[in-house]
Amino acid sequence: MKPVVYRKLPLILVGVMAFGLPLVVTSPTYLHIVILLFLYAYLTTSWNLVGGFAGVLPLGHAAFVGIGAYTSTILSLQYGVSPWIGMLVGAVIASIVGVIIGLPTFKMRGAYFALATIAFAEGIRVMFENIDYLGPFQINGPRGLQIPPLKTGLASFMFAEKEPYYYIILVMLAGVLLLTWAISRSKLGYYLMAGGEEPEAAQALGVNVARAKLTAMAMSSFLTAFAGTFWAQFTLYIHPKSVMSLDISFEIAFIALIGGRGSIAGPVLGALLLRPVSDFSRIYFGDKLPGLHLIIFGVVLILVMLFQPRGLQLPLTRIYHRVMDRLFGDREAAV
Amino acid sequence: MLFILEDTINGILMGSIYGLAALGLTLIFGVLKVINFAHGSLLMVGMYVAYWAVLLTGVHPYLSLVIVVPVMFLFGYLLQDILIKPIFKAEKNVREPITVIIVTTGVWYILDNLSLLIFGPQYRNIQDNPLRGKMLEAGEMMISVPKLWGFCAAIITALLVYLFLQKTRMGRAVRATSLDRDAASLQGINQYKIYNISFGIGTAVAGVAGVTLVPFFNIFPSVGVLFDIKCFIIVVLGGLGSIGGALLGGMIVGVIESVGPQFMTATWTEAIVYGLFLVFLFLKPSGLFGVKYDW
Repeated sequence: MKPVVYRKLPLILVGVMAFGLPLVVTSPTYLHIVILLFLYAYLTTSWNLVGGFAGVLPLGHAAFVGIGAYTSTILSLQYGVSPWIGMLVGAVIASIVGVIIGLPTFKMRGAYFALATIAFAEGIRVMFENIDYLGPFQINGPRGLQIPPLKTGLASFMFAEKEPYYYIILVMLAGVLLLTWAISRSKLGYYLMAGGEEPEAAQALGVNVARAKLTAMAMSSFLTAFAGTFWAQFTLYIHPKSVMSLDISFEIAFIALIGGRGSIAGPVLGALLLRPVSDFSRIYFGDKLPGLHLIIFGVVLILVMLFQPRGLQLPLTRIYHRVMDRLFGDREAAV
Repeated sequence: MLFILEDTINGILMGSIYGLAALGLTLIFGVLKVINFAHGSLLMVGMYVAYWAVLLTGVHPYLSLVIVVPVMFLFGYLLQDILIKPIFKAEKNVREPITVIIVTTGVWYILDNLSLLIFGPQYRNIQDNPLRGKMLEAGEMMISVPKLWGFCAAIITALLVYLFLQKTRMGRAVRATSLDRDAASLQGINQYKIYNISFGIGTAVAGVAGVTLVPFFNIFPSVGVLFDIKCFIIVVLGGLGSIGGALLGGMIVGVIESVGPQFMTATWTEAIVYGLFLVFLFLKPSGLFGVKYDW
């Protein structure tokens, strides 16, 4: 085999191990943590399409999570529609909302854009917290919606054990990573990166930066909504603070930024590093030192921004490539 | 009908306090051109400093200004100098210095949770301070006295800041830097020193706002979050860099919050404020009185 393939071996190994993980990790608590880790890796990778490739700072993505969660839940509770179909419907709605938000906001400067996304997300959340019915659909305001655990099985997207959820989120994560990789090598990817760094130059070359950004936003919100449905089916209870809060939006952005936005591995690395910190500090220090994990987040964020603004993936991938060079020869020579 | 007048007046008073809080933000925004997401947390810190100053010395809340203002100025100065300046220098030629926003968000998280850790989540207030619960009777209307004091503090502070910017040499340097930082540094102004000072002043003003709130508002670690977004909305409404705009924007928000609940639930008024914010962002991002910047 060519050395180029050898270099990818560790990644392939990791992928295979991921599929076998539930055989090793049997405790439901730990599996739950891993599932949430993958969920956030999924969310941050989807966010990355706009926040990384398009070069802006959207801080309201939780709104799309909420839209996905509420759409599939309402459809399944009130109309008996399968959550899988509800997932698709929610994603389409989120996508449309994303474009509506993107149209006026992409014209703004970075800081204003961030504020506008926050305002939109909070506006949507406040709306959901205040209405009991949106037309014929029951929203229940702050009390939220509960999904009764009736029939389990793949068709109803509901399971008694954690393992099926693990595999679903693993497949979702793999899918979104593949998609990101494909986009990064496509015309859209280059348009986005050009538009993010030097919009005037890009436009002078004929790139429709606005359309590229909107496409990225549509995709990102579409995918994010999937996570909302997953969350709803996993936790079986949704309310505005749990699926649409600003904290979620910020956590997604933080993880992507620390890991390294604009790269494929960055968001996943960020999630791998930060989610365990978050969960374990909550478990072990939750009552004695509340909020410790957020302090750690904040400190790590500042340190990374000061010393490695492109994210931790940069030094980590450099180390990886250097190790691979040692083992399998210089990759430049393999060409 | 008289309710509406009473509500409006109380809304204006409360709104002036919001405006005072936003004043610090608009200064920082206007000079450094960055959004300080940690501003709400700075306000929270100011409130706690004032709270402890009063609790430990037993003085009138407004006397704590003597401690609060210098402490907050120093805090802001150091924050800018240590955390934000390095990024400014690194991002000198970057089109959109988003990294600073990210750093301030980190500061927000750290400050809020550190105070949660140190002070605990309980709501605090100073029960027997000379201003608590006092009402002024004007005809049949009840005007809140602590808010009236806050109104006066807001006006006086705004005036002092205005005079500083217009009449002092340092103030002129600040204005120059906010208009064109490169031209200003060509004139011999050390822009980083100006940033430090502006951040310090902005934080000190937030401290004053904290003092005005301590007599009647509950103090708890995440109180800053309430004000943070409100302050951004006010700054956009009023126009970045505009002192009068900050106060006016604050009063608008204050009146909406006060009069609104007569006609709809309190959280719908929140939605209206957000809606107004978005309208201004799209149609008139420079706000009511802001200078048109070359974006």
